[in-house]
Amino acid sequence: MGYLGEIFVMAMTAIFIQNFVLSRFLGLCPYLGVSKKLDSALGMGLAVIFVMTLASSFTFLINRYLLMPYNMEYLQTIAFILTIAALVQFVEMVIQKYAPALYSALGVYLPLITTNCAVLGVAILNTSMFRSDGITPYNFLDSTLNGFFSGVGFTVVLLAMAGIRMRIEKAEIPKSMQGMPIALILAGIMALAFYGFIGFKI
Amino acid sequence: MSFLKELTKGIIKENPIFVIVLGMCPTLAVTTSVVNALGMGLAATFVLICSNIMISLIKDITPASIRIPVYIVVIAAFVSIVDMIMEAYLPGLHKSLGLFIPLIVVNCIILGRAEAFAGKNTVLMSIADAIGMGLGFTLSLTIVGTIREILGAGTWLNIRVTPAGYDPMLIAILAPGAFITLGFLMAVMNMIKERK
Amino acid sequence: MKYYLKLGLILFIFSVVASGILAFVNSLTTPIIAAKKAQDEIDAREKLIPGAVFEEHETVDGESYFIALDEDSEPLGFVFIASENGYSSKILTMVGIDADFNIIGIEILDQGETPGLGANCENESFTAQFAEKQALNLKVNQDDGEITSLAGATITSRTIANSIRERANSLKSALETGGEQ
Repeated sequence: MGYLGEIFVMAMTAIFIQNFVLSRFLGLCPYLGVSKKLDSALGMGLAVIFVMTLASSFTFLINRYLLMPYNMEYLQTIAFILTIAALVQFVEMVIQKYAPALYSALGVYLPLITTNCAVLGVAILNTSMFRSDGITPYNFLDSTLNGFFSGVGFTVVLLAMAGIRMRIEKAEIPKSMQGMPIALILAGIMALAFYGFIGFKI
Repeated sequence: MSFLKELTKGIIKENPIFVIVLGMCPTLAVTTSVVNALGMGLAATFVLICSNIMISLIKDITPASIRIPVYIVVIAAFVSIVDMIMEAYLPGLHKSLGLFIPLIVVNCIILGRAEAFAGKNTVLMSIADAIGMGLGFTLSLTIVGTIREILGAGTWLNIRVTPAGYDPMLIAILAPGAFITLGFLMAVMNMIKERK
Repeated sequence: MKYYLKLGLILFIFSVVASGILAFVNSLTTPIIAAKKAQDEIDAREKLIPGAVFEEHETVDGESYFIALDEDSEPLGFVFIASENGYSSKILTMVGIDADFNIIGIEILDQGETPGLGANCENESFTAQFAEKQALNLKVNQDDGEITSLAGATITSRTIANSIRERANSLKSALETGGEQ
């Protein structure tokens, strides 16, 4: 299988088979919190894709060239979360200065992303991921791409959720089910649908 | 008096999961069994107590503008300690909680309590707050874990509790069951609140 | 500027102190973790072929296996660890086989499969069926083999069966060519 095939497998796995939200349970706070409107969901989704891609590449470099050579993997958690926090802060400043239009669209979501467990999650997962042969560990490009596709997987279900919730607002739901309970049950039904992808081992 | 008040508020009135709806990821991911739920709850409680103590101790020497990064360092350090100790003494539990142990760092409850409470209050009050919130979190996880384990595996704390003829409803311990169980639990909470 | 340097310095000090504490805890827990892992393997070997003395050997490919000897130093069989990626984790299976490559028993050492589905591979009801099966052509029922897969976890079951079969075959050919070091 060529590298393109490898990328295809990675994309399908991250988006459908092992979806970050519905199968790995990562990034649930924004998934349930920012899915009331379609445009804010899109803003959040794009911001997450951006940060996850960047975070994956930076944390890969830190892990491979700073932590692993000196057997300091026990500092992984602390190093990764600091990198992500610094990265988010930096991205926020850069966007604010050079792309004010983008900032007004994504700016409010950026600070929330530091504590989005999907970002730290993908960084930690990348350190123990293997290509489809099961032997070769992820290299720099693999990790970056995996971060990107995981972000896409997050955005896909976030948008789907926002679309459904906007429609359900007009429906008559028993009072005690309104808001979070119905959102959770919707998520359950979506997870059930995504279970259909399980077993596809490309 | 107020020590008790801070202690009990997290368990029911300001329950982090059911009322404030924070820390959803571990609530859904590790509640496949009561053992996992308890392990996660207690690990997070331990981190919460330690980080609350530490943060209320250092609140006067940390400049306000870098307090969040400092909080993150403190929390991440305690999480790593819990991670290593669990791997050494409870390898089975460490394995089944897996990724969600390092992810305690980004559990909104812990940073949230640091920011909202420990950074402004005395050590004693912060301990009370941490114990209350931690127990509230553990209790909620255990409730979800109990329902899922009984429905999905027919056991409670790995002890068989259902009659031999009960065919476990496997979906309850799979991902969709997590969402649906928590959804119905929250609806029941809302219903009780409305009755009052 | 001086203000920012001061902030950076404070944050740096916190990080250094935290790293130092972590390094200390790590130095305490690492030997315990390693010892526990080694002990687990010894226990698993003892459980598969009780009362045997185990001798560690390596094939030319550098894969380690154990020869089980009885009190008179007569070989009882072999023990090896098969490992392969399952559905969502690496599955390590310790396998005991006799001299004709019939399985004596298997023990799942490590797995992180889906709770309720693949994770059931640790259950006695699944592992017991491997006993007395021929390791060299071990397959799950979906591949017309004798091993009944776990419900809803074909990939996990297939991974375990295939990893055992492959390791058994490579061990057999290594032994036949006398590739023992």
